[in-house]
Amino acid sequence: MYQYDDFDRQFVTERVAHYREQTERYLAGKLSEDEFLQLRLRNGLYVQRLAPMLRVAIPYGTLSSTQLRALADISVTYDRGYGHLSTRQNMQFNWPEIADVPDILEQLAKVNMHAIQTSGSCIRNVTTDHFAGAAADEIVDPRPYCELIRQWSTLHPEFEWLPRKFKIAVSGAAVDRAAVDVHDIGLRVYEDDQQQHVFDVLVGGGLGRTPVIGSTIRTALPAKHLLSYLQAILRVYNRYGRRDNKYKARIKILVRALGAESFTQQVESEWAMILNESEPLPAKAIQHMQQFFAPPELPAVNDATTELPAQRLQQPAFSRWVERNVFPHRKEGYSNIILSTKAVGVPPGDVSAEQMLVVATWAEQFGIGEIRITHEQNFVLPHIRQSDLFALWQQAQEADLATANAGLITDVICCPGGDFCSLANAKSIPIAEAIQRQLADADFVHDLGDVDLNISGCMNACGHHHVGHIGILGVDKKGQEFYQISLGGHAGHSNTQASLGQIIGPSVSRQQVQGVIGRIIDIYLGLRQQDESFLSCFRRVGIDPFKASLKEDPHDAVA
Amino acid sequence: MTQLLNQQDGRWHMSAGTDTAWISPEEFQPDAALLLDVDAEPQAEWADASLIGVNFPALTDGRGLSLAALLRQRIGFTGDLRAVGAVHEDIVHFMLRCGFTSFELADERDPAIVLQQLTPYSQHYQASVIDPLPALVRLANT
Repeated sequence: MYQYDDFDRQFVTERVAHYREQTERYLAGKLSEDEFLQLRLRNGLYVQRLAPMLRVAIPYGTLSSTQLRALADISVTYDRGYGHLSTRQNMQFNWPEIADVPDILEQLAKVNMHAIQTSGSCIRNVTTDHFAGAAADEIVDPRPYCELIRQWSTLHPEFEWLPRKFKIAVSGAAVDRAAVDVHDIGLRVYEDDQQQHVFDVLVGGGLGRTPVIGSTIRTALPAKHLLSYLQAILRVYNRYGRRDNKYKARIKILVRALGAESFTQQVESEWAMILNESEPLPAKAIQHMQQFFAPPELPAVNDATTELPAQRLQQPAFSRWVERNVFPHRKEGYSNIILSTKAVGVPPGDVSAEQMLVVATWAEQFGIGEIRITHEQNFVLPHIRQSDLFALWQQAQEADLATANAGLITDVICCPGGDFCSLANAKSIPIAEAIQRQLADADFVHDLGDVDLNISGCMNACGHHHVGHIGILGVDKKGQEFYQISLGGHAGHSNTQASLGQIIGPSVSRQQVQGVIGRIIDIYLGLRQQDESFLSCFRRVGIDPFKASLKEDPHDAVA
Repeated sequence: MTQLLNQQDGRWHMSAGTDTAWISPEEFQPDAALLLDVDAEPQAEWADASLIGVNFPALTDGRGLSLAALLRQRIGFTGDLRAVGAVHEDIVHFMLRCGFTSFELADERDPAIVLQQLTPYSQHYQASVIDPLPALVRLANT
């Protein structure tokens, strides 16, 4: 992974000092509430319903064992002994005191971490494939480019005060695990005929109130022009994006207002001028960055000698975990592991300090001391030898991190919702928990196969409900919490086209949600052909057969 | 009344603001002091202004930062470029790197604090108007 040099260390140290000084001015009454709001947001600090929330940046979801231990320490000292994995691969702490935040940042800086630009109307933490550099289906490792983008966008003087937040995702594999279709900018990196790295550039995707699949505005952009092209897009957005209405301020609204073609022309003409005014990124700068992400030296192993098949036969529960949570690695005899945080009774994405510590240990014991966080709010351990899987699984079971549900309906993506967030219209975590309890039969859930269930407590869509195969959105109806259910959304990660969910009908009360979800499942089971997945089935039959799920009587529903 | 932050003899300095005889883009003539809104489209002839002011409507409005970069890098304006309107001491360091050379601040801003906020960082990751050429300054030198 990327290693800080003196420059980076000095930069984060100066950032802590700067933020400490800003906090002191605020506490001394020399900055107004509104002025400080803008400064603290750009340093990841929200003031929430119950207490402040600090969002720590985990650049493209990768961190070391040392860094995870530091996060565990912070969660014990300043929070209540746990952290929350966000849907953008970051970690959030829910109970820090405003006055303590500079000290937390100082602790983070000691392990080369920060909270820069994790909120506010600026370029946010860039996200990518949680299996980057390890996946069997990878074409180009996106991480060197993610790090280039991270550095370029950090306190960029021209783009720190955008109309609205700005999210960039990069994918370099056959399967898009970074959801590049639904980001302000989505980048797909691959090799051209001359084995040079080039990018397809998508703009204007996003969830929120107005979900949109991004438009491809350029294909095969050479890597040396990546940053100048981003500059052109950001400049057009910064100058022409709406600032009069925060709900219409994302770049997707600008792309829609101008039309993708006209937007593209503006970007291209801006880019042509930037090319005249600046130098492309030198090849040696890209090579320098790639050195940090060279494949780890994993000893060659003979897969046939492992006891894996026998272990799977003896332990069906282990076998199921291997089937769901173990993913193909680029090297024979190795795997990438998802450690699910979605055990029943635990808010999705919440991890205790104890869990962080054992995950850090496993990463060193079984992997290369590196951990990933997925946008589905789970941990990944990359580069795990297959002969170690059984031992890892046994330990993960004790730590409640071995739920065999990656990609299953109980692997719920869920925002903090009305329990924590001041924006939420409705609670989301209790809905997730109720559905997980309802679907406690592991065999049944396993048989259902791939179902993405995504829950957002409001239309800001932090729970990505638009791209859930089943999406649940909390809405406010005359002060009551209601839930709107949509079907057929897809984030694009199983090698099929991304799509946005369609609403099945009127929203339902909290008490009715479980019944509706149960009937949706029943209808699917009645309609599916052989091994047809929920999404494939939905795409074949459309939404109409599922509308019956809103009816109370199950006999009506399947009729 | 306002205060003016600018360099005098190579040192940053706060003084009482003076009345500037601004003209609008429609009235433009060479050697005049031109006041622009942040949504102005840069014109080549503006390179001949004696002073250009960019009027920020709000602390959070970054359009003037892009406009400044364009006035410097595209139009080639080399004269005094002044940020006016909603100029806040915590934004000045970004403005400086986009090419502004003077700043009009409200009277209630504390000069001591303003002067402390000019360069909170000794180095930066990316190129800027005042530190041009490769997009990532530090990497080009590795």
